[in-house]
Amino acid sequence: MRALQALLCAALFGAVSAQAEAAPPDFSGVWFISTHVGALKTVEGHAPPLTPEGLKVYEAHRAAAAKGDYSFDGVTQCLPPGLPRLMLMHEPFEILQKPKVIYFVHQLNRLPRRAYLDEALPTDVDPHYLGYSVAKWDGEALVIDTTGFDDSTMLDNAGLPHSESLHLTERYQLSQDGKHLHLALTIEDPKTFTQAWSAQADYVKRSGVELTEEVCAATPAAKRPRS
Amino acid sequence: MQSKTVRNTIAVSLVSSALLCAAAAWGAPAPKTLYDSGDPTLALTPGLRGAEKAPPGAPPGNPDPHDFNGVWWMSGYQYLLGPEPGVAPPLKPEYMRILERRIRAKNRGTPEADASTQCLPHGMPRIMESPYPIEIVQTPERLTFLHEVAHNLRRIWLNRDHPKRVTPSFLGDSVAHWEGDTLVVDTVGLNDRTFIDDEGSSHSTQEHVVERYRKIDNGSTLELIMTVEDPVTLEHPYSYRRVFRWRPDVRPQEYVCEENNRNAPVNGITVAK
Repeated sequence: MRALQALLCAALFGAVSAQAEAAPPDFSGVWFISTHVGALKTVEGHAPPLTPEGLKVYEAHRAAAAKGDYSFDGVTQCLPPGLPRLMLMHEPFEILQKPKVIYFVHQLNRLPRRAYLDEALPTDVDPHYLGYSVAKWDGEALVIDTTGFDDSTMLDNAGLPHSESLHLTERYQLSQDGKHLHLALTIEDPKTFTQAWSAQADYVKRSGVELTEEVCAATPAAKRPRS
Repeated sequence: MQSKTVRNTIAVSLVSSALLCAAAAWGAPAPKTLYDSGDPTLALTPGLRGAEKAPPGAPPGNPDPHDFNGVWWMSGYQYLLGPEPGVAPPLKPEYMRILERRIRAKNRGTPEADASTQCLPHGMPRIMESPYPIEIVQTPERLTFLHEVAHNLRRIWLNRDHPKRVTPSFLGDSVAHWEGDTLVVDTVGLNDRTFIDDEGSSHSTQEHVVERYRKIDNGSTLELIMTVEDPVTLEHPYSYRRVFRWRPDVRPQEYVCEENNRNAPVNGITVAK
């Protein structure tokens, strides 16, 4: 089954060899998530391997949410949702691609994110909601490394917590027809998880769509996107 | 090494933002009060000197007149956006009275709520008057202005006209074309929830803003001639000039206006207060 999946993936997303020197693929455009991701699961379909402390916080979030209390979630107060959650919401984003920077501009509250190409991750960076991202081309895949996270955000739309030690790796690959984007992500956070784990998401490109001016502070609290 | 660069950039941002030296950007000293009346209740907030040129050793500006990519930072910053520093926009009498009211409220220490203090986009032309850097990302179909301040975002389309029906928004619908080496940006479709400037000059939904941008000084400066029209609040259109410095040494930072509304997390869980 795994082998068949690998074969399918190779067919869908194309072999990457032999083109290392060619111009990188063009990820520019407006993207929508194909299948909404509520609670992140590992690629094997399991619950993320939370430590006992991590599980305690997660269960507190789940219990609060079950009572309709989302005060733990900064998104309800218009704060940036953090990563990878921002990539898992029902909100489109666009990619602007430059030789030295890849820009993700999200419709959600107009949040911008920059990934600087061919730079090392800083060893000591002040925490930010969206962290600090560096990127590189690995063949035709775009690999983004992010650290420097504020620990108040969630990893997914279901309240999965993380610590400031979070290290997120995202690997984006474009389908051969350029209309689909596959994200394979890896989460390392020894304070929250017993081991590194991987998950995935898929996006579809929409041509001729302009993102709108979405302003959280102008949106009534009950209508603010939360997932 | 990298983190030092990042920190230096942040330090530069903070130092430059903190240059609160009152200075008229050009010409005669700016009036210190509305109408130059000397009335302290109508005192204007003094302008800022704004950004200096990039430090020695920074990469030189790109001389290509049609390539605006990069980080730009305003030099000279005014709280009142009229035709000259310290001079009000040519508001109709009833809107001058509203401006007086807002300036007096500010000077009493009880300013009226405005867009920027509510984490709303700042409106036009106000958003272009910012003591924070603006990153321009230019692609074939448009220019994207990524403002550091409160992550304001403008999309300026090169490949289309205004829609016949524009849904009003805080920063409006912007389209542009080149006239020689000048980029002419036309903005309509603005809602009336913002002010023309920080002091509180009013505009309506019929406001129309034209910006003319041109690179000068071999690409190290971006010049802007701003023209504001509003048949509802203004007696007549007016213009003013600004310049932005090329700042390749600056990386825009995450600016979260909404953070002040945040409840502090306790043991990883944010508790409502």
